Amino acid sequence: MSVRLGYTILYVADVEATVSFYEAAFGLRRKFIHESNLYAEMDTGETTLSFAGEAMAEMNGLAIRANRRKDLAAGFELALVFSDPREAYGKAVAAGATPVKPPENKPWGQVVGYVRDLNGCLVEIASAMPG
Amino acid sequence: MNLSARYTELSRLADLGEEVEAAWSSVSDRAGSYRVLPDGRCDIILRFDAGRRPIAEVTVVVTGPTTRFYDVPIEPGMGFVGIRLRPGCFETVLGFEPADLANANLVGPDAFAACPDLETLCAPARDENELVARLTAFVRRRVADSSSKPAPMARVVISAFHASGGRLRIGDVANMHAISERTVQRIVFGATGLAPKTFAAILRFHRALRLLQDHRLSPADAALEAGFSDQAHMSRVFRRMGGFSPARLPDVTLVSLHD
Repeated sequence: MSVRLGYTILYVADVEATVSFYEAAFGLRRKFIHESNLYAEMDTGETTLSFAGEAMAEMNGLAIRANRRKDLAAGFELALVFSDPREAYGKAVAAGATPVKPPENKPWGQVVGYVRDLNGCLVEIASAMPG
Repeated sequence: MNLSARYTELSRLADLGEEVEAAWSSVSDRAGSYRVLPDGRCDIILRFDAGRRPIAEVTVVVTGPTTRFYDVPIEPGMGFVGIRLRPGCFETVLGFEPADLANANLVGPDAFAACPDLETLCAPARDENELVARLTAFVRRRVADSSSKPAPMARVVISAFHASGGRLRIGDVANMHAISERTVQRIVFGATGLAPKTFAAILRFHRALRLLQDHRLSPADAALEAGFSDQAHMSRVFRRMGGFSPARLPDVTLVSLHD
């Protein structure tokens, strides 16, 4: 028996809009969007970041609190690692991300800031852990 | 994760377009009755004699939003094809509000009186597949010609209700979209013909049914996950909306073309 983290899947109101936003705001690239517009994967390496339409939560028999920009953020975050988090933060906000906390130096050597995406999900914008 | 299975399901969904939630067909093999449960959706159904080819006589039935079960009499060999409209698409497709058809159905001439275009669905057909294709094309054409498109806010509000399985309070839905409760009521009533509280209760009932039937949860676990205060609460709702108890589920699933 083995286990690994394979996918992080966010349920969103508009899959296509979310993919375009993640490309413009964070510079991630789409791997594909399914023609139904209900499922998409980003090109994020070994652990896939996916977006699924809210209708898919229902199809899967799940009940969720939908992510909305004007709602309180849900209790999780996505952490994206950038070579230049300060530049990345500026670019994300310019593309429509909601600013939450500009990047700052952490005592352990990382630079960390926070925005919320177009659906209100928390996204951490960080530098790699010094190591 | 079984991605290939997910794709198959999705490509079929993509074919149906975003106004149609499902296309289904069924042929009754017995005389008796078929129980229709409230699901917060409306269907356009074509009824015909499944024993005859080509299909000569087609009756149109439009089902309105219901708040409790009802039984439809069936005879052996009676065939049905139907499409289930997504909440919010009723007026776009049929030209009148779903609330006008609350707890009621329109059959044949009554349906034509409400929406004359429905008569085009009744021409003779080779088989069921042609009727399904005709229904899907009908919806596409009506959507393309319609002037009343659902507002984007209506789409996300209805989606939030659905995604939560009816577990969000009306106030929560209002707050998360920064709109008033009054606006939520207007949106849900316009889209489904039901009050938001009733719509949410139907979604909870349906999800609980699915948790018992498909997920095979125990009644206690299903009641908790579906958002009922306890098992007794779930049982009362099942008796009222479905006419049965959670411990004795009847065979109530319509045959879907896409299962």
